[in-house]
Amino acid sequence: MMQVLGNRLRYNAPAYDQGLLWVTLILLGLGLVMVYSSSIALAEADRATGHQSTYYLVRHSIYLVVSLCVAAVTFQIPTQMWQKMAPYLFLIGMAALVLVLIPGIGREVNGSRRWISLFVVTVQPSEFMKLLVAIYAADYTLRKAAVMDSFTKSFFPMLLVMLLVGGLLLMEPDFGAFAVISTITISILWLGGINVRIFAGMIGMLVVGFVLLIWSSPYRLQRIIGFMDPWADPYGKGYQLSHALIAFGRGEWFGVGLGASVEKLLYLPEAHTDFLLAVIAEELGFVGVLTVVALFAWLVIRAFAIGKEAIANERYFSALLAQGIGVWIGVQAIINMGVNMGILPTKGLTLPLLSFGGSGILANCIALSVLMRIDFESRRIQRRLPV
Amino acid sequence: MNTVALKRQQTIRLPGWRRRLLLVLVLAGFVVLIARSVYLQSTHKQFLQQKGDARYSRNIVLPAHRGMITDRNGEPLAISTPVESIWASPPDLEMNKEQVNQLAALLGFKPETISKKLANNPREFVYLKRRIPPELARQVMALKIPGIFMQREYRRYYPAGEVAAHLVGFTGVDQIGREGFELAAQDVLSGKEGSRRVIKDRQGRIVEDLEAVKVPQDGKNLVLSIDRRIQYLAHRELARAVETHKAKAGAAVVLDARTGEVLAMTNVPSYNPNNPVNLAGRSRNRAIVDLFEPGSTLKPFSAAAAMDAGVFDTSSIIDTTPGVMHIGSATVRDVHPQGKATIAQIIQKSSNVGSAKLGMSIEPKALWNVFNLAGFGQVTNVGFPGEASGRLRDYKSWRPIEHATMSYGYGLNLTLLQLARAYTVFANDGELRPVSLRKQNEQPVGQQVFKPQTARAMLEMMELAVLPGGTAPRAQIPGYRVAGKTGTAHKHGVGGYQSDKYVSSFVGLAPASNPRLIMAVMIDEPGAGQYYGGAVAAPVFSAVVSGVLRMLAVPQDAPNDNIVIPPEEAPVVQEMV
Repeated sequence: MMQVLGNRLRYNAPAYDQGLLWVTLILLGLGLVMVYSSSIALAEADRATGHQSTYYLVRHSIYLVVSLCVAAVTFQIPTQMWQKMAPYLFLIGMAALVLVLIPGIGREVNGSRRWISLFVVTVQPSEFMKLLVAIYAADYTLRKAAVMDSFTKSFFPMLLVMLLVGGLLLMEPDFGAFAVISTITISILWLGGINVRIFAGMIGMLVVGFVLLIWSSPYRLQRIIGFMDPWADPYGKGYQLSHALIAFGRGEWFGVGLGASVEKLLYLPEAHTDFLLAVIAEELGFVGVLTVVALFAWLVIRAFAIGKEAIANERYFSALLAQGIGVWIGVQAIINMGVNMGILPTKGLTLPLLSFGGSGILANCIALSVLMRIDFESRRIQRRLPV
Repeated sequence: MNTVALKRQQTIRLPGWRRRLLLVLVLAGFVVLIARSVYLQSTHKQFLQQKGDARYSRNIVLPAHRGMITDRNGEPLAISTPVESIWASPPDLEMNKEQVNQLAALLGFKPETISKKLANNPREFVYLKRRIPPELARQVMALKIPGIFMQREYRRYYPAGEVAAHLVGFTGVDQIGREGFELAAQDVLSGKEGSRRVIKDRQGRIVEDLEAVKVPQDGKNLVLSIDRRIQYLAHRELARAVETHKAKAGAAVVLDARTGEVLAMTNVPSYNPNNPVNLAGRSRNRAIVDLFEPGSTLKPFSAAAAMDAGVFDTSSIIDTTPGVMHIGSATVRDVHPQGKATIAQIIQKSSNVGSAKLGMSIEPKALWNVFNLAGFGQVTNVGFPGEASGRLRDYKSWRPIEHATMSYGYGLNLTLLQLARAYTVFANDGELRPVSLRKQNEQPVGQQVFKPQTARAMLEMMELAVLPGGTAPRAQIPGYRVAGKTGTAHKHGVGGYQSDKYVSSFVGLAPASNPRLIMAVMIDEPGAGQYYGGAVAAPVFSAVVSGVLRMLAVPQDAPNDNIVIPPEEAPVVQEMV
């Protein structure tokens, strides 16, 4: 009886995950409002923006419209197609990462080569690479499912690929993207059943690698020092973080009110991108921060639930991809927020779905539409409908 | 599905515990974030807000408008006028070569000076030029150069310039009084500055007020007793006399004889308070701050004291022959012996021997008492910074020769203002009126020094001193009767009195029938040959007081042709020095 009732409820359930859609839209909407709020002073003060206060608002709005349109199209693509295309997409992504490094094609901003100019828009390949890596790793894990205990057959090839991708990213340099992509890959391998001992060894190697990287590049070391105690050098290395922390302190429980942030008045650098959460914390207080954290947590939980559903339907690629996307969004949000709160070193990672930036928003929207597609297909399977 | 694929499908393991562990790890990250957020936004907020305040909250001083100093008719003597200061914020500065040239031209610099001042300057606040006229500042701002700002300041302006410099004084750049009434009345004039605690954005613009604005309280105006017109006249005539006689310095005080208000007080040399430089020796208000031995101008007091005590009257004859008087080893000398003389003649001719005899006819205590009541050696309490009190030694320590010299004005010192004040007794029937530098609304209460008839008699005697046969015929004023007394004193220097250095003085009252004005003039070290008070100081009195009497429309008490010029061949009556 219960089973029948359950089936009927499922049958009457909507064809797609409305909750996921709404949470995504809420985060995007909040991002739009906060990007505008945090960028007004910056835009007005900058000659490059023509002193227009709505400079970033207009651009962010365009990004959102384009992203949502692209996401709607992406939603039509069956998951199987992604799996089939996985290696090719991955190769395209790799090619883009190489192109970024070629002078004349790649554009350098603030000492980093992360952008490719395509006529009117500039694209940041590393943002899309995060999704492509998740797709590739999910496919790879399934292809190697039988040899998951073998180091040389399962782990080693992936390690080589990752070293290549990581090397390209570090040449830009984009340490943040490297951290996220590594985490996505490791998580998918872990979920795919990689041997625990291999996994432990890999984690150990990664730790050693990270430490070596930090010690080899002085600017990363500087970031670490600034992160450990921003008040030791509050006008130098600790400048950005100390202002982010002050924003949190000023926000208290309920914030100083939307639009009333002082930190955004050119004190806090990157207020509309990497340090958007600090402005949220100042204007909307702990309540605002808690809301953002809760929405991201909900997204991650939902992604894992969609993954579990896919396993139940024996759609393993979908399951790994869904959870990979969940890990991506979750980990990037955690790192960004951790940086804002001074518990992680400054990375140059944006807050997914919220921060200003066309490539980031577009990649996030595509990823979430893929996630919704996976859920959509699960629902259809449960209704005995063709995928 | 081929067999390989099938095999793969069968071997796929996606263990639920791995998924749950990973999810828990990610969610744990979120929990850590929430905990950290709570810490930052509640526990640690005070520290963070304090750091924030230090970075962008600023106390803005709201300057109080400094009060005006005016003369008794409300004519300004010191006014604060708004000026602008131009400053630059080098990091925000954007200007092209043409703008640099325009800016330099407006501010009166060379273009290189501006470039040098601002290039590679890491500071965020550099004054380009302070205190320029508002109109010029507007022209500078009209260039619309980003990073150039103006700031309202106040500059003290002294319309009377050097004429009233000693009395009014001046302020420093910080608007704090440094001399004169600017210093003495600092608290009244300055008011209370207000303040605003604000948050500024990184470009220095005010974003919001943190607490209630403390409104500044403007300073109050200060009304002095002087009349600007009288002050101008007195200064002009004094300066002329000092120049003519090549004197070292001079001072003059004009009093309202009834109220004791100072209508003019001026000194030479003076300085420009609008640009106070090279002040050494020029900034002293000698009339209040410097002491001198009055000499003969004190004789009316010793004579009146003797008359008041009843020892002599107007008809008494005093024998001053042979013009020399020995007291112990010391000698009192008259240059031109007077023989037998009345008190009126002693005053008219300024006889030292006669004055000594008059003074010594009463006890030292009685003479001291009169001098003390007349305010010699007593501060005037006009509230001027650095006022000197003078010195009148206790009668108990007087030796006989000192008793004698005191009678004709040696052995004590006082200020010119004290001397002028003492003469109010002859204008007010023996009553000493307190003097003041601030405008008085009521006539002050005086203190009786002499009997009224004594004071009146002495006033009549002093009229003789300014007539031919007296020491100061040049003090006469057409249309008015004048009373007065000259003084010519040797200056006391290293090794005693100096034979070639004098202080020439004159104190006069007019109109003599009912005195309205008292003027005391002192010329220090006249160096052009003439040094008698009658020749050096008396003409200043005549020129100033005749002008003031007409200015104040004081009714005449003599015909217009009252002036009697001594015949050419008549001997000039010279004072006993």
